[in-house]
Amino acid sequence: MKLTVFLTFMTFFKVPLLWGQEAKQAIEVFPSTPFYQYIIYENLVIFWIAIIGLIVIIGMKLREIERVQKLGLDKTDHLSMRSD
Amino acid sequence: MNCQKLKDWFDERYDTSALKKFAGEKLVPSHRHDLWYYTGGIIVFLFSIQFITGMMLAFYYVPHADFAHKSIIEIVTKLNMGWFFRSLHHWGSQLTIFFLFVHLFAVLLLKSYRKPRELLWFSGFILLGIAVFFGLSGYLLLWDERAFAAVRVATGGSGALPIVGPFIKAFLRGGIDVTGETLTRFYAFHVSILPLATVFLMVLHVLLVQVHGMSVPLSLQERNLPQTPFFPNVVYKDMAVWLVVLGVTVTIATLFPPEIGQKADPLAPTPENIKPEWYFLFLFQTLKLFPGEILGLNGETIAILLISAGILALFILPLLDRKSRLGEKSTLFTLIGIVYLLYFLIMTLIGYLS
Repeated sequence: MKLTVFLTFMTFFKVPLLWGQEAKQAIEVFPSTPFYQYIIYENLVIFWIAIIGLIVIIGMKLREIERVQKLGLDKTDHLSMRSD
Repeated sequence: MNCQKLKDWFDERYDTSALKKFAGEKLVPSHRHDLWYYTGGIIVFLFSIQFITGMMLAFYYVPHADFAHKSIIEIVTKLNMGWFFRSLHHWGSQLTIFFLFVHLFAVLLLKSYRKPRELLWFSGFILLGIAVFFGLSGYLLLWDERAFAAVRVATGGSGALPIVGPFIKAFLRGGIDVTGETLTRFYAFHVSILPLATVFLMVLHVLLVQVHGMSVPLSLQERNLPQTPFFPNVVYKDMAVWLVVLGVTVTIATLFPPEIGQKADPLAPTPENIKPEWYFLFLFQTLKLFPGEILGLNGETIAILLISAGILALFILPLLDRKSRLGEKSTLFTLIGIVYLLYFLIMTLIGYLS
């Protein structure tokens, strides 16, 4: 009986495991845990929101600079402004 | 944050008024092709990413044939965010070379290489060569079976050049075949010699751009183009473009981390269907077109000679294009530029699909 159980175990569990060890497994280049994957993708979305936000701020700043340049205010002497 | 005290402290010691005046007065012409100006800035930004991520990886990488592969696996699997920095370094290099090619073909087709900007073309061309060698040397550092085979093919190809070929091959390999000696040699190239050459050439290139100013295409040269102040207008636009490039690089690095193959075994047969990196595909495909023997001569040697001649002709193009030098329209060289571009694109595509 013991021999039967042992052989059954070896046939269905141990032997396939040994075969599996022989096959070369791909090296994990990205965290495989769903929890970590979720955090990574979540951070990627936050990262893009930050980038878009910064681009919007840069765009607003640039428009303001161009408006001031069109009015010719950027050519005003800084020293005279300071003395005012 | 206003650091007036710090500014005053600095101004008391160093006179930066000339620099401030230069930055304030620098103008960039606005026209329908000015989009290509940003590719240069993108390359500088991507090189910076490469330097930062490369330095971080160098803390943990072991440049020895027995430990190199294992050290990379440890960087990727054990270090916090190690997989990300390796992936960012990998994709950063791909994008750097991509934008270098875009920049090169933009300069070529807009004739920005014409007098007096010949030195800009030469320094940029050498920078592209350095970036490609950066890619090849970095690829071997992985020390997996594909990298090993690719470097064996690439260094073997250089050996087909007559007279200097065997010397170049032996110099690159550090011996007869690709071994641990080659790894040490490529590591030295990758982390010290090439970065130094890159910094030197990049500084020279940027200084030359400041000396000559931005190039305007021949067709627009006669027009009175509107000028945009470099500081702050163009700087702000550059920053926005860099943010987009950073976002794209980080996204690709996260979604497509590069694979690591099995450790290189010099005695193992070459893996099937092996292909070089995408920027070598046009060369690889050209080599495939040639038969083993042409009129009793080695076909590979003839192919390498023709490729070298083609690259050399592109390098000295500013000296050959006399009409552009005189400020005249040169249709022939526009066609030559288009042929180069189409050849590169088609051969790369065929190489990728085959």
